[in-house]
Amino acid sequence: MTGREAAARRRALVCVAPTVVALGALTVYPGIWVVWLSLQHRIPIFDVSRFAGFENYAFLAVDPRFWSAARITAVFTLGSVALEVVLGVAAALAIHAQVRGRKVSLSLLLLAWAMPAVVGAKLFEWLYHPSAGVINVALGRHAINWLGDPNVALPAVILADVWRTMPFVAILCYARLLAIPADVYEAAQVDGAGRLATLTRITLPLLGRILLLAILFRTLDALRAFDIMFVLTGGGPAGATETLTIYAYRALFQTLQIGFGSAVSVVVFALVMAVAWAYLRLLRTGTVAA
Amino acid sequence: MSVIGRRSAWALGLMAWLLALGGCGAGHERGPVTLVFKYARILGNADPLPELLRAFEAAHPDVRVKGEALPWASDDQHQFYVINLEGRSPGFDVMMLDCIWVPEFARAGWLLDLTSQLAPDELAPYFPSAVASATYNGRVWALPWNFNVGLLYYRADLLTKYGLRPPETFEEMIDQVRRIRAGERDPALNGYVWQGKQYEGLVVNVLEAFWANGTTVMEDDGKVFPDPARAADALKFLRGLITMGVSPAWTTAADEELSRRAFGDGHAIFLRNWPYAMDLFEGQGSAVRGKVAFASLPGRARGAPGVGSTGGAHLGVSARSRYPELALALARHLTSERAQRAIALGAALSPTRQALYRDPELVRERPAMPRLEALALAGRPRPVIPYYLLLSATVQPEFSAALVGVKSPERAIADADARLAYFLQAVR
Amino acid sequence: MRARVRALVDALVVLALAAYAIPFFWQLLTSFKPEAELLRVPPLLPSRLTFSHYQVVFSQSLMPRALGNSLGIATLTTVLSLAAGVPAAYAVARLPLPGKRWLLLAIVASTAFPQIATVSPLYLLMRALELRDTWAGLILVHASFALPLTIWLLAGFVREIPIEAEEAASVDGAGLVATLRWVVVPLLAPGLASTALLTFLFSWNEFLFAYTFTVSEASRTIPVALALFPGVFEVPWGDIAAASILASLPPVVIVIALQRFLVRGLVAGAVKE
Repeated sequence: MTGREAAARRRALVCVAPTVVALGALTVYPGIWVVWLSLQHRIPIFDVSRFAGFENYAFLAVDPRFWSAARITAVFTLGSVALEVVLGVAAALAIHAQVRGRKVSLSLLLLAWAMPAVVGAKLFEWLYHPSAGVINVALGRHAINWLGDPNVALPAVILADVWRTMPFVAILCYARLLAIPADVYEAAQVDGAGRLATLTRITLPLLGRILLLAILFRTLDALRAFDIMFVLTGGGPAGATETLTIYAYRALFQTLQIGFGSAVSVVVFALVMAVAWAYLRLLRTGTVAA
Repeated sequence: MSVIGRRSAWALGLMAWLLALGGCGAGHERGPVTLVFKYARILGNADPLPELLRAFEAAHPDVRVKGEALPWASDDQHQFYVINLEGRSPGFDVMMLDCIWVPEFARAGWLLDLTSQLAPDELAPYFPSAVASATYNGRVWALPWNFNVGLLYYRADLLTKYGLRPPETFEEMIDQVRRIRAGERDPALNGYVWQGKQYEGLVVNVLEAFWANGTTVMEDDGKVFPDPARAADALKFLRGLITMGVSPAWTTAADEELSRRAFGDGHAIFLRNWPYAMDLFEGQGSAVRGKVAFASLPGRARGAPGVGSTGGAHLGVSARSRYPELALALARHLTSERAQRAIALGAALSPTRQALYRDPELVRERPAMPRLEALALAGRPRPVIPYYLLLSATVQPEFSAALVGVKSPERAIADADARLAYFLQAVR
Repeated sequence: MRARVRALVDALVVLALAAYAIPFFWQLLTSFKPEAELLRVPPLLPSRLTFSHYQVVFSQSLMPRALGNSLGIATLTTVLSLAAGVPAAYAVARLPLPGKRWLLLAIVASTAFPQIATVSPLYLLMRALELRDTWAGLILVHASFALPLTIWLLAGFVREIPIEAEEAASVDGAGLVATLRWVVVPLLAPGLASTALLTFLFSWNEFLFAYTFTVSEASRTIPVALALFPGVFEVPWGDIAAASILASLPPVVIVIALQRFLVRGLVAGAVKE
């Protein structure tokens, strides 16, 4: 190793030192600590702190509330992501089809995305109001108890979430559409391809890879979602919108059962990382094939 | 050439200053002593608290009292307290506590032990059950402030019209509801409104149903669900009230205020609620003014007589208060006879001092007071244990699931039992 | 004719998206609707406009103080995140870093971390260090959470910088800090803007950590203040609407004004794979 190389390596280490310290102390260390906590019965306000082995996990394995939360998390994630992708691609294509006024369209779209999830939740809470909400006023006699009926509450929450996050998918797709050179479309026109054929044979496949990435990001975000259902329904009614994250948070901070709550958190952790790993492998094989 | 240029130094300095500013957290005040009193906003026509706090300041020069509001719902208040008191720097001196939290907070070491500071007979004027809920392990941890007991409100005008007396059992009530509704032919008139939303109020309502059915959620020896069959039957009955149409579908989203408003607008015959509602019904412009009376909650035909759950607020002193003597003086001031009378008159909160229920001035303003005293003495407390909140948080979703109909009552009780068994063994 | 069809398409798309944004506009209208008319619908439109809800929000709620907290915390989070992220991104992109693969793996994995996983140990940590209810505590947590994404984005931008510029600087005898300061950062400016924007937005909108680690108005951020908006008898929909509009105004204004940086930022993490 030459002196220059050694100096370069020293520089590199200095450059990443703050990052390593920060990530180590505030992300990695807690990530390991939470697993340790999950193996205990730990309730600070009662001075309870003793090793419990896998008792918490054994309890979760047969806990109906846990499995209900897992099912609701899956439904929320799949429903949200599917709707976002469909609407996002449609929005991107629509804006791309515009000649003038794209900036206005993008601004209107970004309106929903820029605001905090809590604001989005308050917006929809007001829209879903049983008597004074716009939706029920429009429905008149067919008014629905959006946030109070356990059959309707989860779709209501999904809609609120999709409204706020669809622009993310739309913008990713739109940027990708911008990058497609115009001669691709001209060649298609020369070949006599109709609008629909252009869409399905050219545009959508080119969007394919970016869509996969968007789906990855959005799936991870939906699995971790907290703000929207916490503020909109608190997990109710009767646990109809209680995802794993909400379940964990309530166990942790409503009753300060740090041990048990950490066990649920670890499950969420493992789930999210597993999904992320699966997706990344899918993407990498995609790269090799492409 | 210096590594960090002049502009960077300015930027760093600004950042450091901003960090220091923010890092301070709450400002430290110098000068007069400031006591912080946390309480929930008081419902009623006039808020008597500001005047009471100013009176204390007048009696103690150099002391300022800052009243700070808590979140509205009991569960949110509890979370606020837990997160703050657990963090060791609470920033308040006197706190309004729901009586169910006192054993928990005492066990956690957050409350100042008042036993040695109180005169031997100081607690004699209070309701015995109020004092009992302020006591844990033989020590006194709070002063009882206001008192609550579950009541059955009813439309006296409607019952008289059909020649009915207040029902003694729920079966009687259902029959009365049918008759009155058939006679009134008002589609907007509900039968019996109560609190079925998933929160502490639900546990109160379900507990009262358990007691009326001759069982309970936890015995004094700590046994949970001693009679699961009766408990499931009580839950089934409550669910039945909704499916039969005696109670409206929105009961599962109703808290005290929602149900009170429905009754107060004239849309219900019977209401289960706390004493504070009476004043609002008798207020100016109320649709039911002069038409409302209250009675003891009904029981079940083959169960037990009806009994209301007791509740209320106590005033505790933070164990980490910097001015414990002054804080206790403030608590004493707010629970004094004068203060309780002012609060009873201005805010319709019921006092914890028994004598006030026969006080001529109060009785003139609120003629129902003596009757209320009798019902208060007959009331029954929720389990007085340090982990009551854990119990409540665990059973709330199960009871709610049974009421909404996503779980059978038997299943709900069985699940609640299993969860409680696991969580309580972790605590003991 | 073609031009008119085009204009029609343009108008329709804008209208459709305006319809999409109706929840926001309805909230805006609600914030100006008099209290008495809020629950008496129809009619949907107010008879007159009022500022009373905004008055309540400014004078009686925690929102103004929360606004200050949010601004300070988001700004400092962004500064801290960039300060640590720029050198790290440079090292990842340009320098021979021992264990680079492991670091990259850790960074990519960190972007997937669910907040709920680390909130309980962080809570215990904050408690022990007495950092609860302080700006510093929340800034540290936000910055560490934003750091992986920051580094990922910036590394991509750094790779776009022509290597010749840095080689010229080192030929002139410039050290690491100087190279960073005078060559890399200026060329990185647009990428820095995009990353700063995304980091600022993340910190402003973050809720879970803010809700758990803030206790009083000393450090409460806007999302938490809105979630805990006080209501006594019943929910004050008009006041909440006003608070919602105020809470979303800063990020919305920033995002719309700096659209192109946002698009670049979102795209950089994805398109440039």
